[in-house]
Amino acid sequence: MSLLPTKPGFMAGRSVPPEPGYYDYAPYMGRPKITWPEGKRLAFWVAPNIEFYELAPPASEARAVWYRPEPDVLNYAMRDYGNRVGFDRMADVMAAHGVRGSVSLNVAVCDHYPKIIERCCELGWELFSHGIYNTRYMYGMSEDEQRRVIRDARKTILRVSGQRLDGWLSPAISNELETQDLLAEEGLLYTLDLFHDDQPMPVKTRSGKKFTSLPYMMDVNDVPVLNFQSISPQDYLQLIKDHFDQLYAEGEESGTVMCLPLHPYLIGQPHRLWILDQALDYICSHSGVWLATGREIAQWFNDHHYDEMERWIAGLGQEGGE
Amino acid sequence: MSVPESYFDYPNRREGVDHDRFAFRSLRDAPPVQWSHGGKLALWVTLHLEHFPLNMPGKPLLPIGGFDRPGVSVWDYTERDYGNRVGIFRLMRLLDRHGITPTVAMNAAVAERCPPLMEAMLERGWEIAASGVDMGHLHHGEIPPEEEARLVAESFATLRRISGQAVTGWHSPAHSQSPRTADLVAAEGGQWIADWINDDMPYRFRTDAGSLVQMPLSYDLSDRKVMQLQAQPAAIWSGQVEAARDLLLSETATYGGRILSLSLSPWVAGRPAKIATLDRLFSSLLSDSEVKPATGGALAADWAAQVPA
Repeated sequence: MSLLPTKPGFMAGRSVPPEPGYYDYAPYMGRPKITWPEGKRLAFWVAPNIEFYELAPPASEARAVWYRPEPDVLNYAMRDYGNRVGFDRMADVMAAHGVRGSVSLNVAVCDHYPKIIERCCELGWELFSHGIYNTRYMYGMSEDEQRRVIRDARKTILRVSGQRLDGWLSPAISNELETQDLLAEEGLLYTLDLFHDDQPMPVKTRSGKKFTSLPYMMDVNDVPVLNFQSISPQDYLQLIKDHFDQLYAEGEESGTVMCLPLHPYLIGQPHRLWILDQALDYICSHSGVWLATGREIAQWFNDHHYDEMERWIAGLGQEGGE
Repeated sequence: MSVPESYFDYPNRREGVDHDRFAFRSLRDAPPVQWSHGGKLALWVTLHLEHFPLNMPGKPLLPIGGFDRPGVSVWDYTERDYGNRVGIFRLMRLLDRHGITPTVAMNAAVAERCPPLMEAMLERGWEIAASGVDMGHLHHGEIPPEEEARLVAESFATLRRISGQAVTGWHSPAHSQSPRTADLVAAEGGQWIADWINDDMPYRFRTDAGSLVQMPLSYDLSDRKVMQLQAQPAAIWSGQVEAARDLLLSETATYGGRILSLSLSPWVAGRPAKIATLDRLFSSLLSDSEVKPATGGALAADWAAQVPA
């Protein structure tokens, strides 16, 4: 997603396999039926990214961190707006609709701005990890180094909220190939790093532990929509509704998921907050919507559908399989 | 494969921001103020008068609106110059009609190059704020300190000499600062800056030469971002401004006086097809008796008088 290119030399001498190997092909046709609690059709979850970008981050071997020579006041301040102003506005609107957030959290926010975390906890939101800072990437890290980041996140979230670290979105979506293996080994339930499907899916990792991919939908993520694609607020609202309508219709056959990834620095602007208000109004007016968190969706899928889905996928590759 | 051990040092991982320029303050904790003009929502119009030299370096950063065409960019140069010749006079008529006194964040070069424009603005009592020398001389992390000190001094001195005003405001061209810009502005007698886009309300900004008031000049809602960079039609832009007005007005009940900042560049907003939309927008904004225009300097002083340091 980054607009910034890889630094020359970063991948020199490294061999990359032709595919990541996290899953086998599974067509969106003839799949085992997913049923959500109380027969709901669509599990809706909101994932606000509560982030901290450092003004003076360490250099990365992989990419430039900022767009302008540091201090990049424009881009730092744009994101800082989310923590100072946008967060409370966004939280007010979500609370008014009874929608909880599942926070994609740069866990350093727990140290910098404990009041934000307190409010998330008061509202019953889930905290999952988006790394330490959004200016510290997983790129180029050894397995031990990646484990260190995962464990820091787990410890920090537990300390401030009493919550288990169950979900993961790599900071600035910076992965190494083994990241998913390590997350599974560290006991996490779900990852948002994979964009291959609209339904929860088992992820193949080397430990064979249950590990689920949840859809984190870039289609309706405010950063690509508003920043990279320059879509108007009106069109963004329509996009959210169209996206929902299709998934809701498909949910009659088998349970679907809709994720709304947000950034308070964008959606929390005075000229955009109404989009969220109207989007939640629309979505919540449908009786077949399960208002869930990432953890709840992953846990339900693990408990009720994971094994069957895995068996079905395995059967696809066999002679005479369905 | 590994990263340096120092990649796991987090020197600023503690309560508060990760620098010493200002304190963290959330929307809910901002001290409420009442504007002395009596309106709940202050309409702060800022006009950017800028000179983009034909030979602007474009490095190490390209300002928004900077030239990115190959070769000698005559089209870009003249299109921006249009703003200072034509567009600004359309906006002037419009602002006169609606009784709005704007802040003009200007490159010193424009004051020197366009005396009749300067005269017309000063006659109207428009507030002049310093915005560097020209768009080929940006303030950024790689600028030599002596060169930057000279640019800041020259910008203030030229604008004060030509305008006869105190000139206490500063907007860094392209919202770009070096680590020293604010210190230099304060040392030159500046009282407020409008560069950091992280708030909707003023806050105090520490410098080596006393504190400044950082004013919430909008960028995300500027004509340049929405209509130039994102190529949205004027109606989409004005609809966003009205949405911001509605939200900010609703917040005045809880949070006190608020500011609606309109950031306009005459080479973008002063084009013929935009004027009718702007006219309707100003009418719409000012039809509410709770919305009243004010300049950046007036708002900064008003805010500072009510919020103890």
